[in-house]
Amino acid sequence: MDWVAVGLCEDVPARTVVPRRVQNTDLAIWCSTAGVFHAWGDRCPHRGMRLSHGFVRGETLSCIYHGWTYDGDGACVSIPAHPDLTPPKSICAAQYACRVQDGTIWVALQPTQAAVPELGARRAIRSLAVQLSAETLATRLKQPFGPVITLGGAHDIALAVQPSTDTDCLLHAFAAPDQDRKAVSLALEHLRDELEAAA
Amino acid sequence: MILYDYVLSASCYKVRLMAALLGQSLTLHTVNFHPAREHKSADMLALNPKGTLPVLLDGETVLTDSADILRYLTRDAPEWRGDDDPWLALAADLNESLGMARLHDILQYDVDIDAARAAGVKQLRKLEAHMTAQRFDGHLFLTGAVPALADIACFPNVSLAPDGGVSLDTYPSLRLWMRAIRSLPGFIEMPGIHRLHELEFPE
Ligand SMILES: N[C@@H](CCC(=O)N[C@@H](CS)C(=O)NCC(=O)O)C(=O)O
Ligand code: FES
Repeated sequence: MDWVAVGLCEDVPARTVVPRRVQNTDLAIWCSTAGVFHAWGDRCPHRGMRLSHGFVRGETLSCIYHGWTYDGDGACVSIPAHPDLTPPKSICAAQYACRVQDGTIWVALQPTQAAVPELGARRAIRSLAVQLSAETLATRLKQPFGPVITLGGAHDIALAVQPSTDTDCLLHAFAAPDQDRKAVSLALEHLRDELEAAA
Repeated sequence: MILYDYVLSASCYKVRLMAALLGQSLTLHTVNFHPAREHKSADMLALNPKGTLPVLLDGETVLTDSADILRYLTRDAPEWRGDDDPWLALAADLNESLGMARLHDILQYDVDIDAARAAGVKQLRKLEAHMTAQRFDGHLFLTGAVPALADIACFPNVSLAPDGGVSLDTYPSLRLWMRAIRSLPGFIEMPGIHRLHELEFPE
């Protein structure tokens, strides 16, 4: 997979950071005060604390543990225990390519020339976890395996699939703009129950 | 009012948090729950034969269940009240699932850990679906636009779920709900539940 959806923009408002996992890689996805999204490895270069426990101030993300602060390029810009020190350029959080399209945050773990997948004329509904691998999910839906699965139906649902681990996915669901979001959300709950129950 | 309290108890924290948000003061009487098992001492059993915490003492009134205590604290605060019974029942269920999984992990309670976690995940999924629907209506809290007893009753065991081995990473609406509670004026912390760090450093 080139681009993987990791969340809906409305679920990661400005000044928040969330943990996400893509193919067993832990990510901290954060949105700056100005609304710029970033996808970093969820590991502080100092002592390895999860950066997703940290906090956003302005255009920087700070680690909750000792407060090391990283700018939008992942470079460490401040170490509270050594206020007079200019941190060496080598201290840098792991960064991944991150794009916003269709109200959705997309991440590429490897450099890619590919375009971000299209979701058609749909609007975002919600994200929900399912305890199935991406492959099993596609099989049970009788659909080809890929980053976006189009189900159609009355709600015209499309699912952007985030393979979290070998046994879990996070689904980001979209539907026709005229569909009631609560009704689609409920339909997704039922769909998940059926998919997980099907042996 | 005297609260017989244990700092790591989610049910005691519920009471401390509710009182703090209401601006009521509690005199805390710390009970050495672990390792001394002081909640099972003769004195405590005389007060509460069930041998559980929290216990609230207010004059002649003795309350031994967090749900009753929350109702009592909010008896003159109608803005915090609503159709509370279903939410208090859910809060009790969360205490039996996520709460027990946590006591298993941090205090070695003898619990069917897989069953406790599975029940907790089921409840979290229901809550997430509910909070997602609330957000579609522009509401940040379980029962509306403002925080209520329902929120405070459910918040502690949900927030502490990771202590019992249940991740909250994949519940975006619950995360925003917890954030909204953590940013309330008067919010207090407990070990494992922190206030919003960024609020301490206004830009
Ligand atoms: N129904 C009670 C349950 C509270 C509860 O689970 N308390 C735990 C401490 S967190 C306890 O006292 N356990 C001792 C026991 O059950 O023997 C309430 O919510 O007030
Ligand atoms: S581990 Fe992040 S600042 Fe120390």
